[in-house]
Amino acid sequence: MTSDVLIVGAGLAGLSCAKVLASAGRTVRVVERSRGVGGRCATRRIDGQPVDHGLVFLHGRSPEFLAALREVPGRWCDGWPNAVRGTGTPCQPSAFVPGTHRMAHALGVSAFPKHLAAGLDVVLDTTATGLQLGDDGITVRANRQNEAISFTGADVVLALAGPQSFALLEGLPPSPGRETARAVLAMMPSVPCATVIALYPTSVPAPALPWDIWYPETSTALSLVAHDSAKRDAPRRLALVLQARPSWSSAVVGGDPSEWAPRLLADAASIIGSWVAQPVTWQAHMWRYARTSPECELAGPLVLDLGNGRRVGIAGEVFAPGGGVQAAWQSGIELARRLLDEEYQ
Amino acid sequence: MNEIKQRLQDIVDRDANHECSGIGKHALCVRAVAVADLPTRFGDFRIVAFWNNRDAKEHVAIIRGDVIGRAEVPMRVHSECLTGDALGSVRCDCRDQLEAALKRIGELGEGMVLYLRQEGRGIGLLNKIRAYSLQDSGLDTVEANLALGFRDDERDYAIAAHMLKSLDVRSVRVMTNNPNKLEQLKGYGITVAGRIPHVLPPTQQNRFYLETKAKRSGHMINFGGETRLSEQSDTGISPESAG
Repeated sequence: MTSDVLIVGAGLAGLSCAKVLASAGRTVRVVERSRGVGGRCATRRIDGQPVDHGLVFLHGRSPEFLAALREVPGRWCDGWPNAVRGTGTPCQPSAFVPGTHRMAHALGVSAFPKHLAAGLDVVLDTTATGLQLGDDGITVRANRQNEAISFTGADVVLALAGPQSFALLEGLPPSPGRETARAVLAMMPSVPCATVIALYPTSVPAPALPWDIWYPETSTALSLVAHDSAKRDAPRRLALVLQARPSWSSAVVGGDPSEWAPRLLADAASIIGSWVAQPVTWQAHMWRYARTSPECELAGPLVLDLGNGRRVGIAGEVFAPGGGVQAAWQSGIELARRLLDEEYQ
Repeated sequence: MNEIKQRLQDIVDRDANHECSGIGKHALCVRAVAVADLPTRFGDFRIVAFWNNRDAKEHVAIIRGDVIGRAEVPMRVHSECLTGDALGSVRCDCRDQLEAALKRIGELGEGMVLYLRQEGRGIGLLNKIRAYSLQDSGLDTVEANLALGFRDDERDYAIAAHMLKSLDVRSVRVMTNNPNKLEQLKGYGITVAGRIPHVLPPTQQNRFYLETKAKRSGHMINFGGETRLSEQSDTGISPESAG
C-alpha cells in the first residue's frame, strides 16, 4: 500500500492538505483513527439529531476559508452564535474580533470536513502507532480492529494534535531535524476539554432560551454552554453542550465520566436553572487534546527532509496564525504547497 | 507652527475621514493621526503616528526635513525588535541598524524611518523568545524559524506602502539589502528610485544564525564573515556605505 503522500489524521489540516495534493495529481491516502472524518470539527447524531460536541461553531476571516465553507451544501447559520451571554472568556477570543465571521451548519459542523473528504481516499478506524524510515519511503504502522497493518508513502504528513505528532516522531532515527521538530512541538502544549451533551424535552424551559452560547464568568468548571438545538431545523430535543475549563478538565482526564459529568451538569444548573441537572439523556466526551493554548501560534508548517526524497510534514491548528479551524485548514494547504514546491527544486 | 510641520498637520487633518479600499491581500488602510516634534540624539525629527484598520498595532514614521511631495526620499523600513531596539541585545543587530539609519538620515537632512510595530517578523515576541530558546539548546533552527515566523516573506510591506502614500512621497531610495523589499514596494504602487546598500560588521554572537539565514534568503550581502544576525528582513546597514 504505497502512496505519494500518506497523511495521518483526517481532521481539517489533514483533509485540506490531502485535497490540494490530490488535485495536483499526487496519490494521497489519509489514515484516520475514528469512525468519521473531521477530528474536533465533530458532530454526533443522537436519535437523529445532530449535536456539535467538539468546536461549537466555526469562525474565520480569510476570504479563501470563507469561500471553502460556502461550497458546503445545506444551510449555514450565519453569524451563529447570534446571542452571547456572559462575560467569560471564549476559548478562541479572536472569534469575536470585528471582521471575523462566525457560523454553524444546520446539519452540524462536521458537514465541512465531510464535504472536503468527498472523493479522497480515507481509511477510517485505523490508528497510527509508529513511523519507520525505509529506503524509498516512510512506513506508518497502524492498528485496525486489533490487526496490524502498514502503509507507506514517499512523504508522510502528520496532521494530529501536537502531542500525538511528537510521539510518532520518536520512531524516526535521531537527527537534528527530528529533535528540532520535537522541541517545537513541546513548546506548543495542548489543553483538554471535558464535554457533556445533555438533551431535554423541548418544552423545558419555557420560554425558550434567549441565548446561543453562555460564557459564564463565575464558574470554575464551565468554559461555555452551547445551546446546540438553536442551530437545528425542527429539533426534537433541546440540546445543550457543556464544555469545561482547561484546568477543570485536566483534573478529570482519565477519570470516569459517570463521576465528572454529573458535576458539570450540576454546575451548569447552578448558573442556568435547576432543570439543567435533569436531562432526559446525556453523553460525555473527553477531548484530551482539545486545542492549543491561545499563546501558542506558529506561522507555518514544519517539513523534515530525511533524504532520498523522503519527507515528514507536520501541520495542524497550531501551524498557522489565528487559531481554530481556519488555522488548521490553512496549515494543511500551506504544507501541501511546500511539499509540491520543493519537488520541483 | 513651522511650515513643514503644518503640512504634516494638514495630512493628519485630511486623514480624519480617510477610508480607501486598502492595499495588499489584507486590504490594509492607514490614517495619519498625530504629528509632533521629536528631537533625538541623531538630530531633530518629526514623528507621525498611524492608525490601521487591521490590528491594534500603532506604526510611526520618523521624518527628517521635508518629504511631502518629494522624490528620491531616503527611506528605511524598520520592524520593531524589543530585545534589540530597547534592551540592547546583541543577539541581533536591530538597534545598530535603527541607529545607523537615524544617524544617516540625520546627516542627510532629509529622509524617514518607517517604524513598524511587528515584533519578530509579525508573529510576536513570544515566538522570538521561543526561537532564542531553541538556539540556546544548540538545535538546528533553520526549519524551526520558518515555523516560528522568522522568514523573509513574512513582512507585510503593505502598511509601509500606504504610509508613503499618505505622506505623498513621490519616490523613495530604500535603505535595504533585501531585493524582495524593493519588489514588494513596487508591487504596492510605490515608485522606487533606487537602493541604498548597507553592511554592518558581525559580532560573534550572531554570525551563525545570520549565515544560515543568508543561505536561504538570497540577500544582497557578501557573506565573507563580515555580516551579522539580523531580525530585520533588511539585513545590515551602515553609515559608511550609505548614499
